[in-house]
Amino acid sequence: MPRTQAATTRRDSVSLELARDRLGVPAVLFFVLAGVAPLTVAAGVIPTAYQTTGLTGIPAAFIAVALILALFAVGYVAMTRHITNSGAFYAFISRGLGRAAGVAAALVALLAYSCLQVGLYGAFGPSAASEAAAHIGVHAPWWAWALGAWAVITVLGLLRVDITGRVLGVLLSAEITVILAETAAGLARPAGGQLSFATLSPAALTSAGFGAFGVLAVVAVLGFVGFEQAPVLAEETRNARRTVPAATYLSLGLIAFVYAGASWAMAVHAGAGQVAAAAAQQGPGLLFGLGGSALAQAAQVLFLTSLFAAALAFHNCVWRYMYALGRENVLPAALGRTGGNNIPKAASLTQSATGLVVIVAYAVSGQDPMTRMFFWLGTTGGFGILLLLALTAVAVVAFFSGDPRGENAWRRAVAPALSAVVLAGIVVLAVRNYHTLLGVPPGDPAAWVLPASYALIAATGLAWALVLRARRPQVYARIGLGAHVVTGQLTPPVGQPPR
Amino acid sequence: MTGLGGTGRLADDLYLMAHHDRTGKPLLQPRAAGLGLAGGLLTELVLAGHIEVEDGEIAIADRNPPEDELAGLVLAVLLGQPQHPARDWLAFLARTAAGHVPRRLEQAGYLTRAAGRTPWSGQRWVPVDPDCAFAPVARAQAALRPGRPPAAQGTALAGLAVACGLGSRLLPCGPPQARRHLDAALSQLDPGLHELIAQTQAAVDSALLSHRV
Repeated sequence: MPRTQAATTRRDSVSLELARDRLGVPAVLFFVLAGVAPLTVAAGVIPTAYQTTGLTGIPAAFIAVALILALFAVGYVAMTRHITNSGAFYAFISRGLGRAAGVAAALVALLAYSCLQVGLYGAFGPSAASEAAAHIGVHAPWWAWALGAWAVITVLGLLRVDITGRVLGVLLSAEITVILAETAAGLARPAGGQLSFATLSPAALTSAGFGAFGVLAVVAVLGFVGFEQAPVLAEETRNARRTVPAATYLSLGLIAFVYAGASWAMAVHAGAGQVAAAAAQQGPGLLFGLGGSALAQAAQVLFLTSLFAAALAFHNCVWRYMYALGRENVLPAALGRTGGNNIPKAASLTQSATGLVVIVAYAVSGQDPMTRMFFWLGTTGGFGILLLLALTAVAVVAFFSGDPRGENAWRRAVAPALSAVVLAGIVVLAVRNYHTLLGVPPGDPAAWVLPASYALIAATGLAWALVLRARRPQVYARIGLGAHVVTGQLTPPVGQPPR
Repeated sequence: MTGLGGTGRLADDLYLMAHHDRTGKPLLQPRAAGLGLAGGLLTELVLAGHIEVEDGEIAIADRNPPEDELAGLVLAVLLGQPQHPARDWLAFLARTAAGHVPRRLEQAGYLTRAAGRTPWSGQRWVPVDPDCAFAPVARAQAALRPGRPPAAQGTALAGLAVACGLGSRLLPCGPPQARRHLDAALSQLDPGLHELIAQTQAAVDSALLSHRV
């Protein structure tokens, strides 16, 4: 390959040496998929969504949202080429819409990822409890198992023991294989003997009313959360210009295929009219029961490991956010300090404390953990991510509006503007139909308290940013720089191929 | 001859600070330690006047080979390819610094090799004299005591130590004044030195945030 050879002879040994250490597309893809946690969504989110919302358009929603996110990704990865800050969302929003908006976005992101992390305990607890009762005869309430997982994750977080790439790779491959196997089994035995494509068609998105699309979209976005993490690794990739977009689009495509397939198989196997009732009866068993008992058993074990791995992954995500904000002095500086072995104890413990408070609160109040903790907190987290996606799309347009920086009109204006409009529309629909998402009657307090918490935290962020601007202007000036807050330098564009 | 004064070389002091004074066990993640030592090696060259750091770039000021062999090696590499930004140099040197610096300390008599604790781990470095191994911590702390005029090398050592994550070892009781005093002392350093320490900190933070540490 003459072109590669010519490039190699121009590369110096330093660049070659550095390139060896850097990540390629597979590593970034694995990192993204680890955050996505396929079985957690397929066996946890999807059946609970069928049960709680009663909507059947979930398969179609995954496809529709995949297309919308692909449109969003066009502008998102274009902006990655010009700023490299592992904080992703809030860095983009800071640079595009201003620092005050950036602080608000950072707090929204913190709340969203935190909800996502803590909610997972609400699925782990009951699943572990039923598995233990069935197989080893141990009968303990769900919150005992949830607290056990919490304790292990707290310790792992403090010791900085992460699940190694290899183990994660094996688990991920096993999860996806199991989901595909269950999907095939479910499609092979449809209810009524006829394979129906009804739940895949676009009509299913609005069959329960136009507002239902907003609800379905939040569920689907929850499934896709994690795809936005590819830019976090941009500075560590060999060729960010290619790797980040490739990993982003590949993950979108793979996730859409796996989830649309699984949710479709569940609807087909149970019958579209009965899937909500079946989900209420079987929970995660709605997926496990599609195939034979051996597959179901393997799937149940992998479901527990998936939940645990996802809880650890999101724990790491949250404390890194806190660390970045602590380093910038937007949050208390103690969060931005590390102890021995570069462990950010304060940030890790803060997230652990949050988890403990929430588990105890749900245990004491006696609410159903799967629907009220896992699904409510999970979808609220997904809603937060949806808000951030919409804001980021606007930020992309604003960022390029002053200076095109060599990107064409489609990437810098048309695609992000279109996605911003669609995403904003979905946000409005979701807010107006939040009660459907939660499965409560309209007018229930939860239906406005949960989305309003984002409005509250965003307002707090804006106010705090203005306080910083007045009282500590040098801190304000460096918001959004992430790791480079200490040098004050904007990093130059990455992705130029090594010379 | 070893003594409490150390070798007088900054990267050596930083290595000793980054490891337990009795067992030699590392107190930092490998990548963070490597970046700190890389910063240390470059700081040695800045203090000796061989290079200058400005706006994220490294410029050669004096091509004459330095006395120390390892510093000479680093300078030779920098001379060979001058077009990389400082953070690339930090990343490049970080890969090998953790091997070169302890060998230099071994030659000076501060470290010795010992067998690994488990059959499958390789050899490890153990300090010859725990008091000499702890001395750099005391030196860096002394450089931060208020009321003393800050010396460039001591301040730079303290700054680099905090940059790569040894803040809790250097400032254990953590009164906020100590950190403020460090920041004040750092701001009085030569701007190139200050920037190099900041670049090291940025590199360590970046690695932490990208899940590489």
